[in-house]
This record gives sequence, structure tokens and C-alpha cells, in this order.
Amino acid sequence: MTRRPAKPKGPSLIERFAERLAEPPEVAHGASERALKTQSRRDFLLFGAGAAAAAAGAWWLLPERTKARILPGATFDRLDTMAARVGLSRGNRERFLNRVLTFDDDVAEALYSQERRVRTYARSEVTPLKPNYNGRPPTIASLADWALELTGLASGETVRLTLADLAALALPTREQVTRLVCVEGWSAVAWWSGVAFADLLRAHPPAPGTRWAAMRSEVNLGRAGRPDPYFVSLDLVTARHPQTLLATRLGGRPLPIEYGYPLRLLAPVKLGLKNIKAITHIAYEAEEPADYWNLRGYSKYDGL
Amino acid sequence: MAKPRRPKAPDRTVAVVPKHHALVRLTHWANVPLLFGLIATGLAIYWAAPVFTHAPDPVTGSRDYLADLGILVARLLGDRGGSPPKWVYEHFSLGTGQLAGSLRLHWLLAYLFMLNGLLYAVGLTAGGGWRALLPRSSDLPGGVAMIRYYLGVIPHAIRRKPWPHPTVKSKYNALQRGAYFVMPLVGALVVLSGWAMHKPAQLGWLERLFVNYDGARIVHFGCMLILGSFVVPHVIFVIADGFDTFRSMITGWSLRVRGAGHD
Repeated sequence: MTRRPAKPKGPSLIERFAERLAEPPEVAHGASERALKTQSRRDFLLFGAGAAAAAAGAWWLLPERTKARILPGATFDRLDTMAARVGLSRGNRERFLNRVLTFDDDVAEALYSQERRVRTYARSEVTPLKPNYNGRPPTIASLADWALELTGLASGETVRLTLADLAALALPTREQVTRLVCVEGWSAVAWWSGVAFADLLRAHPPAPGTRWAAMRSEVNLGRAGRPDPYFVSLDLVTARHPQTLLATRLGGRPLPIEYGYPLRLLAPVKLGLKNIKAITHIAYEAEEPADYWNLRGYSKYDGL
Repeated sequence: MAKPRRPKAPDRTVAVVPKHHALVRLTHWANVPLLFGLIATGLAIYWAAPVFTHAPDPVTGSRDYLADLGILVARLLGDRGGSPPKWVYEHFSLGTGQLAGSLRLHWLLAYLFMLNGLLYAVGLTAGGGWRALLPRSSDLPGGVAMIRYYLGVIPHAIRRKPWPHPTVKSKYNALQRGAYFVMPLVGALVVLSGWAMHKPAQLGWLERLFVNYDGARIVHFGCMLILGSFVVPHVIFVIADGFDTFRSMITGWSLRVRGAGHD
């Protein structure tokens, strides 16, 4: 066996890297004035380029309403056209910022564990809960013949469940006192009761290959009182989380209409906007369904 | 006739002192647009559900202390341009009613801010620059001496009396060292409280660290105030100290050699 002649050992890559990072000792030394001027000019040009890039980026990313307030009138239009010429268009901005949202969603998904429970509280720790119905709650009349419609089941059938049918399934009642967090920033601790979504999935299993529950409330009304169906997507992993309920009671009483009577979703691992009220339809699907607020610029994952 | 050529100045050798590593300069300046944007989007998010509230005011209907501040400022300035309760939000944030857009921008800037902070922390740790920021036993008297000096600057200038700067033997004086030591910690705290709010279920231990969800919001808001108010004296001192100090944060070196007149 021949041995390679030992090379004179230079500094390793890490050593060279650490050397580049090393803070130079604060000791005065002589330097060529001309070289300093050249270096100074280069650094100031770099600084200016960075500042210009930051300003252009900020202009590109700011919402239209904010920009119109900062620079009203013709200047705004001119800058807008110039920015679009170099690719800083509104369409590109929307695509870029939506990529940021999906990146954040991927981070959240990586953090998620099905084993992890949200914190539970004592009933004495309940705090006031804003109804925050999107638009207006449904009318009592529209709920008179309410039934939950399940589609995308393994049986291939469409199942309609009234509250009495749900009770007849004899699924165990779950009680939990958890915090509901709104995307707006407020939160409230409330005492919920109902059945585990996982138990309903066992009673009426979804078709093989389905990964999502498309949940809809057809009875939801808009602010003007016209029908405005609300819809959310929920992945079946979250649906099977032990703290994900189909709630029928709040604070030990039947759900008031503005809190989601007759049946609402209570998924405390998701933001409030996923917790759909007055559910009328659950469809199990293979493709990710749409979300009401995602179509209006909010995140789609909404995991806490 | 040949044009008389401007004689080229002969090169000279001047004394310079290395001041700031390139990584420190880069991360320092990146913080300016990042923090500015984080505060502007953060306040627009805060508007949607303020954490500092009181019972509704019978006159204005306001429940939000920041809206009250806006009403006060708008009245003092005689501002009739917009809605007084929205004054703070319209001047220091992206504006009201922009929650979805502000959240997206806040996440973008927050990830960049964390990346920037990580770059700074790694560079400072590997390069040994952290040593200049560690508190020392002499910092208490040193800090008092600096405060006494700053308080005396204007009165002595008016009376045209000499008022020498306390001798500083290290890279930073005690007050600077304190500020540059605390600010990265506040930066870390603002990131931690942000994550506690963003993922209170998956990072339940972090939420508990701030007592509860609203605790994290209050800490996050407080850190914003500290970081934001640090900027005011920071900029005033740079202007007072002169161009050399500003340039040293761009080029990395200073022409002020200790013991040669300054300090």
C-alpha cells in the first residue's frame, strides 16, 4: 500500500469561513487614502442600490389603498405603470404574497402533530365569546327543516341526518373547554359539547381516497340578508383530531342561533374562521376544496 | 495648446480603525425597512382586535386606547383630514380594514426578520463580536457618567465652557453597550411572542411562557414599542456624533483614532 505524500495542510473550509467572520481588532493602521475613497464610493453605491431596491419592493408589495393614500393622483398612476414595466405588477405581487402564505402554511403543517392537544381550561375560566357571524345568522324559518347532508361516503349513498338522527347514532358526548382564536387577534375560552368528528367518520366512513371534508352552510346570510353560503375545507387528519367536535351545545345549553345552531364545527387547532356554523353539507373529497376567506386573501391552512 | 491637466493629488497614508464587520452592517441596514414594515403591518393587524381596551366611551364609542390617542392627536393638530379614531392607524400603519393584506405582508417580513437575526447572531458568535456587547462590572458607573455628560452638553455649549467626553477605553460606551446588548434580546422576544400567537396549539409551551394568548400579544406589542423607541435616540446620537459614525456603518471603518483628539 502506497501512502500519498502528506500535503502541507492549509486552513480548512470552516476555518477560512470563521476567519472571514472574525471581527477585526479595533487597532488603528495606516491605509492609502485613495484606496479608502474607492472603497467608500463602492460601499455608498451599494448602500444606495439597497435602499432603492427596498423602496421599489415596498412600493410593489403595499396594498393599493395604502399607496393611493400615500401618493394620490397622477404620480401614483405613473409609478404604477413604471413598476409594472419591470415586472412589479399587481398580478405578480398577488402570486408572490400567496406563495408566502403557502410557505407559512407548510411551516405550520411541519409543526403539526396529531398527538398534540390544545390546552383545556376549567369551566370557571370561560370568557365572553363574540358571535362574529359572517354576515347574518340564518333565520329560524330556514332552519325548520334542517338536516346535515353527507356525501362522498364509502357506501356511495347520500345520508341526511336530523338532530334526532344524530342522537340515534348514540355517539359518545364530548365536553371540552378550549380557546377559540380569531384571525382578527381576539380569542375566547368556551365550554363546548357535541360529538367527536372522528366518531361520525366511523359511523359513516368516507369513500376511500378522500382526504378532505368540504363543509358548507347553505343557510348563512350576507350582511344585506341575502343568501351567502359559507364554506371551508378541513383535512380529514384534523377532522379526526380528538379535540375536533361537531358541537351542538355551548355553555351547557343548546347552541344559540348566532353561535351556530343546530350544529357547528369546533376545531380548536384551527383559527375561528374554519369553525363553520350551522353546517348543512359535508362532502368528502379527494381534492382540496375552496375556503370562503381564502378566496378573500386569507390563509387556507389556518392551523394554530 | 495642450489642456493643462489637473495635477493628481498625491496619495497619502491615513490612520483608520476597523469598526463594523460587513455582516453587522448588512443586517443593521436590513433591519430598517423590515422593522418599519413589521410595525406598519403589525398595527394594521392590531386595529382588527386591539388588546388594550376599555369600556366604550359614551361620546366617541371608542373602546381602543390607540384610537383614543388618535382622537387626542387629531384634536391637538387640528387635523380635519380623516376620522380621528383612525388617526394612529392611518399614519403609522397600512390603514384600517386591511387585515388580510397586512397578515400576508407581516408573515413575509417576519420570516425575513428572523433570517436577518439568525445571520447576525451566527456572524456575531462565530466572529467574536459578541464580546464587545457583554455587560461589564464598570457599566453602572460608566452609564451614570454618560448620562451626566449628555445632560451637560447643551448647558455647557450655551455657556461656551469645555465639557469633555468621558474616557471610553472599549469599543462602546456603557450606554451603547447596554442598548446593543438588550436590543437583540428584545428582537428574540418579539419573535418568540409572535410564534406563541401564531401557533398557540402546536407551540403550547411557548404560549404558556407568556401566561396565555393575550400575554403573548401584550409582550409582542411591548417589544414593538421598545424597538421602535430605540430608533429615536439612536438616530439623534448618530446625527450628533457626525458623519464619520454614519459612514462607519456603511464602510466599516472610522477615521477617528482613539487618543487622537476624539473620545
